[in-house]
Amino acid sequence: MEKIILLIPGIPIFIAFLLLFIGKKELIPRVSIMLSSMIALLALYGTYYVISNDTQIIGFDGLLVYNELSAILVPYVAILGLVIRKYATKYMWDEAGYRRFFILLNFIFASIYLFVMSNNLIVLALAWQLLSISLYLLVSFNVGSNTAVKNAKWVMIIHKAADLVFIIAIILTYQTFDSLDLTILSEKWLAMSHEPVDNPMIFVIGLLFLIAAMMKSAIMPFHIWLPYTSEAPTPVSAVMHAGVVNVGGILLNKLAFLLLLAPAVLNIAFVVGLVTAIFASLIMLVVSDIKRSLGYSTVGQMGYMIMEIGLGAFSLAIYHLIVHGIFKATLFLESGALIKLARHDSNLPKRLTYELFWEEKIKSNSKKLFNYLAFFTILPVVTFVGVKMVLTDDFFELNASIIILAFAWLTGTQLFLSFFKVSKADSFKVILALVSSFVIILFTYEFIGLSLEHFIYGENAILFYEAATFNITTIMLLVILAAIMIVGWLFMYTQHFAKVLKTNENKNSLKWSFYKFLAKEGYFFNIIKALKRNKNDL
Amino acid sequence: MIYNILFLILAAGVPYYLILEKIPAIKSKHIFLLSAFALLSNIGLSLYVPNEHKTSLVIISLINAVFTIYRATKTTNFYKLAYYFIFVNAPFFVLYEGESSLYSLSLLLSLSGLYLIGRFYEKNYGSANYRYITGITLVRPYIGSYLTFYLIAVALYPPFPNSLFFLHYILGSESNPLWFAVVITLFFGNFFLSMGVMKKTLFGRPNANIHYVHMTIKEKIPHMLIVGMLLLFSLYGLKEILL
Repeated sequence: MEKIILLIPGIPIFIAFLLLFIGKKELIPRVSIMLSSMIALLALYGTYYVISNDTQIIGFDGLLVYNELSAILVPYVAILGLVIRKYATKYMWDEAGYRRFFILLNFIFASIYLFVMSNNLIVLALAWQLLSISLYLLVSFNVGSNTAVKNAKWVMIIHKAADLVFIIAIILTYQTFDSLDLTILSEKWLAMSHEPVDNPMIFVIGLLFLIAAMMKSAIMPFHIWLPYTSEAPTPVSAVMHAGVVNVGGILLNKLAFLLLLAPAVLNIAFVVGLVTAIFASLIMLVVSDIKRSLGYSTVGQMGYMIMEIGLGAFSLAIYHLIVHGIFKATLFLESGALIKLARHDSNLPKRLTYELFWEEKIKSNSKKLFNYLAFFTILPVVTFVGVKMVLTDDFFELNASIIILAFAWLTGTQLFLSFFKVSKADSFKVILALVSSFVIILFTYEFIGLSLEHFIYGENAILFYEAATFNITTIMLLVILAAIMIVGWLFMYTQHFAKVLKTNENKNSLKWSFYKFLAKEGYFFNIIKALKRNKNDL
Repeated sequence: MIYNILFLILAAGVPYYLILEKIPAIKSKHIFLLSAFALLSNIGLSLYVPNEHKTSLVIISLINAVFTIYRATKTTNFYKLAYYFIFVNAPFFVLYEGESSLYSLSLLLSLSGLYLIGRFYEKNYGSANYRYITGITLVRPYIGSYLTFYLIAVALYPPFPNSLFFLHYILGSESNPLWFAVVITLFFGNFFLSMGVMKKTLFGRPNANIHYVHMTIKEKIPHMLIVGMLLLFSLYGLKEILL
């Protein structure tokens, strides 16, 4: 009976075929939503079954599996799919190609389900490629627009390259480990991880899978396809930012035990994730186009996700991608309603803290500013350490914890300062709200992260942290962390007061160059244009 | 040796279309039919005459494929494109000989669809040239769908059989630099050419100077059959690759 859950990837394909024969336009979304609700119910039942019986559902000769990872991700994708279909019902009504849109939407969801539930590398490759082509057809949905078609071309080129890298990685895996079954492979990899492994081919395979994941998840330098797809219809943007870009993280989770054998790949993942997170977040702040800014925000979040994997926090990456997906989908789907409201009320959009703190706003006291900054930069670390000690005291035995600590500080400081900037109030209420909200967020994040870790990987979770450990001493890491904190803190302190340049005042050329570099998105398109010009000249 | 040369010619490993294109009596659609027939003969022959492929032949067909990709980027004619695709895929036919027969058949099936679309264009718009027949997806969704299916199949995307057979063969073979060169050339060559066609005729704003014509039921039937056969091939391909 429970095997019926394995039909989930087939249901959207069935819906797509059914839609071909439906005459009435009104029936297209109705049928689509009704049958998608069935997927959501099946997914929830599957999750209940996996949790209550502590077992996996395997079927179709071991090709598909509904395991712990699917139990988390499939209901998430199903519910997200339901919301997006409902939203698209009215949003897409006047667009040419209403039926085509729903058919393509069902295909892309089928490929995501297949990807999450696959237990075989070939099925994974098929889902991976199906996802590429469905995404291309959806991004170029507005076929009359040259820009949409041109941007879709970038999507396709990068995804096709990802397909090739992925297929080569699969072929090498098959030649090295003589199996395509993920359950068998994972057992093999776990057994191998207990002894030192000296096979460069494993590193090559791991690296190829990482590169494929980077391409699909828009990690730098393969990020360029994501920020430029804003011409796609809003529901497509929601699917893309909340679903498609996550497949890189899901893939690496499926191959987690392989990466145990190639710690260098984890270290590379950490570095590229870190560079992407920082660089994309900076570009997000300076680009003038709001939609591109959102695109870079997603790239930055994907950077964080890959960085978490690089640190061995595989399940945290899953939690991150779900939370980010919900947040970003909400943002895209709400944008239309917000624009409509803003047309009637000039005070919109309001800041989150506006109603809570604005009325108490008083003139800030510059003398106290220094104390506030010092307090707010130390407090996040103290809070984070406290929470971690309560939940997992053995965490501090790993030197990767220092990096996580550094990011807790970074995120905490960012959060505290943004709140502080809005309210600027000498109010006990503000401080209490800040501290308590941070503690709640940390506890939730850590508690859910740990629960997921236990649920998906059980006792093996610690192995990933050990594999991801850097080959440098803890003292060295602490020194680096302290240096980053001091430099960062000084930078924030000196930059807190915005200085308006007078026209005759000299600009800081280095700063301007850096700003220009970010605003031009790393001169990527300038290079492409120059190359094209040279080609034409020849 | 003679067998090798014969196989190379039949498998479109040499660009003999260059000579045929210069003969005024032979039109592009005839070249397609001729090269498709030659490929079918190659499939038939390879079943009866065992033939070990030689590295030099693969290299020749690879050079031919790269040259044909270049030629194909310059054309906007469905007939020409259809036979160019056969020549682009020649290194695969030469490399895998008899084993690649299913791939060859599914490719021929997809290209027949493309050929039929060319005939439709020729009948209704004067020639098989698609340069200015833009925005088909918007104005004639059925024709757009068929064309999309064929192009996706040729571009080696699942669930179409071409990609399944392609994956099946390359998975079971030993990799070497030449193998990589063939796989990468075909993987991207087919893809770029197909995407080019999509961009030029499926996408874009509909041309206001053209009266877009619907397909008649009679014209739809062969396309339905081709798509149906492609799906049947896909089921077989899935069975081959997964079980």
